[in-house]
Amino acid sequence: MKSIKLLTALIVALFTYNASAADVANGKKVADISCVACHKAGVMGAPKIGDKADWQKRMEKGLVGVEKNALNGLNSMPAKGGNPTLSDNDIKDAIAYFLDSAGVRAAANASKAKAKPKAKPAPTPVVKAVVKTVKKPKKSKVMNFNRLMKPPSEWNPPPFEDGIHDPDGEGAYMLQPPRELFTNLEKSSSGNRVDWVKTLNNGLIAPRWDKADDTKQPFVMDLNIVREVKGSMPNVVYPHKQHTQWLDCSNCHPDIFIPKKGANQISMAAILMGEKCGVCHGKVAFPVSDCRKCHSQNKKKPLVASRK
Amino acid sequence: MKIKSSLKLKFSALALFVGLFFSFNLFTASPAHAEYGDVVINNFSEEAGMRPVVFPHWFHRARFRCKVCHADLGFKFEAGGNEIDMLKIIDGEYCGACHNGEIAWAVENCNLCHSGTPDTPTQVHGSTVQQLVSNDKKPEQK
Ligand code: HEC
Ligand code: HEC
Ligand code: HEC
Ligand code: HEC
Ligand code: HEC
Ligand code: HEC
Ligand code: HEC
Repeated sequence: MKSIKLLTALIVALFTYNASAADVANGKKVADISCVACHKAGVMGAPKIGDKADWQKRMEKGLVGVEKNALNGLNSMPAKGGNPTLSDNDIKDAIAYFLDSAGVRAAANASKAKAKPKAKPAPTPVVKAVVKTVKKPKKSKVMNFNRLMKPPSEWNPPPFEDGIHDPDGEGAYMLQPPRELFTNLEKSSSGNRVDWVKTLNNGLIAPRWDKADDTKQPFVMDLNIVREVKGSMPNVVYPHKQHTQWLDCSNCHPDIFIPKKGANQISMAAILMGEKCGVCHGKVAFPVSDCRKCHSQNKKKPLVASRK
Repeated sequence: MKIKSSLKLKFSALALFVGLFFSFNLFTASPAHAEYGDVVINNFSEEAGMRPVVFPHWFHRARFRCKVCHADLGFKFEAGGNEIDMLKIIDGEYCGACHNGEIAWAVENCNLCHSGTPDTPTQVHGSTVQQLVSNDKKPEQK
């Protein structure tokens, strides 16, 4: 019984998957950032993700009509979900994802319409929805190229999927998903996947130095301290500049570091256990795995503490 | 003699470090998904019947320098180390210095702060230390 069902599902999937695979994946990405805020919980009567009845009803007017409403807005549904930077295809992909996760399928010709560089207003406005339950075919898991690394799709998950926000509470859906902010910031390969130093220096963010006063500016001190490292690792250059852009002298002196070159014993073991530089690096500032950001001075150069 | 033993010390520290680093790499793969720097604060919340508090560093640091909270407002660099409670907040301390309806939305939005998954202990997420100890006790599985 079950296996027959599965087989039919698979066959259906085989025929429909090709047409929509890439779209649905992109659609989920778009939806996770721009649509879930309303469509996850059904805010203001938005059709819920995964709710077949909701979407079947919507599809009665045909895919083209539904797409048009999402693009142009409908009552409390803002045009393009309120995110004008999304392309028309992003919106259509997001709808493909909604339909897919609700198990509602649009007739194939309707979703093809968008592949063409739409010359005319899309064809038949009334397209009957063909409703079928589609089981996604499982991708072969014989080999993952990087077995232990998180794929980029798992970076910066939205709050309701991150394991620490309760998906049963409403807070999780009202909070901003990190990617919504991060897409516009300078990228890095670790931590928040954001290079906060570049982001700040390029003026992409302007965090306040005072809780209320926008005009107060930090006193930035440009003093590098070079710490020689035995062995092959490059020397550590500790830059006051990038730190005093964010922090007050009292955040480090004298509790974490005595303000005297060489007066502090620092080791990687201590840093890894959350002491010295590890008070911040590996918790909020870029993590320890970015060796080169700290070990930035190759050996053989004359070892001078540069004072600028 | 002295040189030798200090060398040995250095070496064992390095060995420890290398060991740690590998286990660290291994466990970045663990399903601890949370955004880097998110702090769960749960000293009192759950005992008092509220969801734990989740404080997002990424969100706040895009708006304020660390100095505002960690120097001006006196937040210590320690998850759970500030003994925050609602009385202090409504009196304008800690989160209440901003979440007062003037700089940011006011305290009546309980769910925005108390948004954590039940049973999540106080800690900073995505940290090296968390990944090191997740070896024997994984904080949250999904
Ligand atoms: C601010 C909340 C909100 C956001 C954000 C939002 N929607 Fe909606 N959406 C709604 C509401 C409310 C409705 C129901 C409108 C109605 O029927 O009056 C709706 C309806 C829809 C429909 C059905 C339209 C129809 O013809 O019945 C589609 C499709 C849709 N939204 C797609 C999207 C997509 C794609 C996104 C993200 C890019 C998105 N929405 C973001 C609130 C939202
Ligand atoms: C220096 C000021 C300041 C302090 C202190 C502060 N916040 Fe905030 N917080 C803000 C501002 C500003 C916003 C954005 C408000 C808005 O979007 O209207 C915000 C937003 C938030 C959000 C919502 C994020 C989102 O996704 O929209 C949460 C949750 C939050 N704060 C929790 C806390 C907690 C918990 C504390 C105390 C441990 C705290 N905040 C302390 C200024 C502060
Ligand atoms: C992020 C932490 C941090 C901050 C913030 C910070 N410092 Fe430092 N400071 C250090 C470290 C690390 C050293 C090097 C100590 C060593 O080599 O043992 C240092 C060394 C110094 C020294 C000694 C220099 C020398 O040549 O002997 C002075 C003076 C100093 N800091 C002043 C300041 C002042 C003033 C500020 C604020 C404008 C400040 N620091 C902010 C971490 C910090
Ligand atoms: C009090 C917190 C704190 C401490 C302690 C600290 N840092 Fe930082 N560090 C930061 C922050 C915040 C930044 C900004 C970048 C970020 O957040 O990723 C930063 C940036 C840096 C940068 C600049 C990277 C770049 O892209 O330009 C270097 C290098 C660095 N830290 C090295 C160190 C070293 C070495 C130590 C120990 C001697 C140390 N830090 C201690 C908070 C800290
Ligand atoms: C936040 C800055 C920072 C990062 C990131 C960092 N280091 Fe270090 N490292 C230091 C400092 C500071 C020292 C101490 C230098 C000294 O002796 O004064 C050090 C020392 C070392 C040493 C000498 C032995 C010891 O334990 O003191 C080695 C080896 C080393 N680091 C390797 C690494 C490797 C490998 C990485 C990347 C996985 C790395 N470090 C990332 C700051 C950093
Ligand atoms: C700006 C963020 C924020 C908001 C909004 C907020 N809280 Fe809290 N609350 C906290 C923090 C931080 C703690 C300390 C958490 C801990 O250690 O468990 C806390 C602790 C508590 C506690 C346990 C300690 C105590 O004081 O009894 C209760 C109960 C509580 N909150 C209830 C509420 C209620 C009810 C609301 C809405 C009216 C609310 N909170 C709104 C941040 C917030
Ligand atoms: C809006 C306020 C705010 C800002 C801005 C802020 N923090 Fe925090 N930070 C907090 C709070 C709240 C905690 C948790 C304290 C508690 O649980 O009592 C915390 C905790 C920490 C911890 C301790 C984590 C641990 O348990 O070891 C570190 C380290 C830290 N912050 C670094 C930073 C750095 C670096 C910056 C700037 C890039 C920064 N913070 C910006 C509010 C802030």
